[in-house]
Amino acid sequence: MLSLTHYLFLSFALFFIGLAGVLTRRNLIIKLFSIEITLNATTINLTAFARLYGDASGQAFAILVVAMLVLELLVALAIIAAVCSRWKCATPDDEKDLSSQLDY
Amino acid sequence: MLNHMLSAFRTYLHGDGAVLLPEMQLFLFAIGMLAMDSWTANTSSEKFGPNPGFRQKYWNPALALAGIAFSALTLWMLRARIIQSGELAGFHLTLVVDSYFIFFSALLLAATALVILLSVNCATMPAVRQGRYYALLLFACMSMMLIVSAVDLLVIFLAMEAAAISACFLAASPGLSNRTPSASVRFLLSSAFGSAVVAYGFSLLYGLSGATNISQVAAALARRHNVAKVIALSHQSGLQGLQMLQLLQSRLPEAVHWQAVTLEALPIAAFMLVSVGMILKFAVPSFQRQFNRTTAETDFGILSPVTLYVSGAYAIAAVALLLRSMFTIFADSQNIWWHIIAALAIVGISYGIFCSLRQTNLERIIVYLSIAHMSYVLLGVVAANEAAATAMTYYLFTYLFIVSGVFGVLIALRGENISAGVLNDLSGLRRRSPVTALLLIIFVLSLAGAPPTAGFFSRYFIFHALFETGHRYTAWFVALSSLPLAYSYLRIAVYVWRGRQSETEPGAVAFGIPEAIVLGVCVFVSLAAGLYSEPFTRMARYAFGQ
Repeated sequence: MLSLTHYLFLSFALFFIGLAGVLTRRNLIIKLFSIEITLNATTINLTAFARLYGDASGQAFAILVVAMLVLELLVALAIIAAVCSRWKCATPDDEKDLSSQLDY
Repeated sequence: MLNHMLSAFRTYLHGDGAVLLPEMQLFLFAIGMLAMDSWTANTSSEKFGPNPGFRQKYWNPALALAGIAFSALTLWMLRARIIQSGELAGFHLTLVVDSYFIFFSALLLAATALVILLSVNCATMPAVRQGRYYALLLFACMSMMLIVSAVDLLVIFLAMEAAAISACFLAASPGLSNRTPSASVRFLLSSAFGSAVVAYGFSLLYGLSGATNISQVAAALARRHNVAKVIALSHQSGLQGLQMLQLLQSRLPEAVHWQAVTLEALPIAAFMLVSVGMILKFAVPSFQRQFNRTTAETDFGILSPVTLYVSGAYAIAAVALLLRSMFTIFADSQNIWWHIIAALAIVGISYGIFCSLRQTNLERIIVYLSIAHMSYVLLGVVAANEAAATAMTYYLFTYLFIVSGVFGVLIALRGENISAGVLNDLSGLRRRSPVTALLLIIFVLSLAGAPPTAGFFSRYFIFHALFETGHRYTAWFVALSSLPLAYSYLRIAVYVWRGRQSETEPGAVAFGIPEAIVLGVCVFVSLAAGLYSEPFTRMARYAFGQ
């Protein structure tokens, strides 16, 4: 049977996968996905704890985290779309060459 | 029917609504400004006279200031209510109105008002559709007030996100900010990453306590020692161990397989996650790559009110949140975590000062040193007594006004087409415009901590609080690190003082009315809070209900 500890280990693993993704990848979209993975670790934690305590506020928190995650994704994708149309890619490499295009 | 609705509305305003009223007013004004903005953009110029841009230039800031005035008036009325009937709480104990909220909200409103006034004549503002910018400022201010007001992990998280998204939009708007889209993407990524880390810390706190209200979380954390003891005992053999095991199985069945050490370590992990996450969320985005690296040294349009907003108001909200969470949730384990905070603050001070010493770009110097200033404020948490609380609030209050003054002078200089990008641009300012030079020197000396000004006392109070509580080495670090800090600022003053006026340079700087108001208020605070600090320290004490 799955106990709370299993869920906690799963969320811990997800958190570190996300952390590694944010710190090591350069592509903005992959970085964004890694952040989402990190937030998913949070939701797993919250629902597992909510079940432990038989308390709905943890689940409410989890749902709101998901809602926040969607909003953040929306804003980030809007800005990345603006960036991509200037860079023609989503990786902020070679800033020196592109700096002339970047000036607003 | 209408009567019924009105009475329901009135009951709401006297109940839960009162707690949210100042934020609600800002929100309504912001929505109204957005609506007006799109309306004026669609109507032809005949209705609005020959120069709609000119009207917009004064309409929008006036409306935004009116919103802030209404909100401030409500705060004042709430203050009277608090004195009568103690602190107000609403929405199932998720938001409170206490003296802490009143003080920091007033400070945030003041910061927003200063930024609005400085934006009026800002050279890089687009000519039309400025309503969006001011509405975003109000939205950001509203969410920062919510951050200060929230006492529930969930609401804190939501308010933090709302503030981050508004700040991100402000940073990404072309023309309003010196940031390139790449910088605003970094801002957003760093801020989202920070909130992910904070959220993970919050989920651990929820797991440890089973509650989201921060005082309940604090109470549960205080009880965790006992639970850990019970768990440790239940792992022993013998009658006592068996009894404890039964107790655990009846009360907290999951905990049978837990280790006591995990329960002791998890709060520290949660503290680390929350504090590091907040630093990632608030500090790193506001300072990291604020500038386009390749063009910064020569870029003329680099100063902007948005930078002031992000490194001033945003930082104040972050510190307010950090103080609330540290003194409530983690108050119990202060003797453990003060090491971490002291180390972070010392690193922050050293980093800020060393980076600023190498810079010649004015805004970079100020922004790097603001890292150092915020770290000084954090050192107050290390002392954690009443004197330290007063010192921290006094520091934040005076710092906001002084740094707004510096930005005000620099933005006014640029409004007159005088380059104020690098230190060399300032040379000869004394001859060119003695008033501007005098103002800039006053602000810079105040930031440097010259004795009769507010800057001296803010750091002295921190030093004193640290010394009082026996943190001698940290106190001496504060005193000694003030020397290179002062050197960094005095460099600016020296450039202002020396040099002669060349023939081709423009004449005296004429301030617009908005800048004059900002500079007047800032000079008043930076001198008055130093010469006669009693009313200001009383205000700072008020924040902590003393």
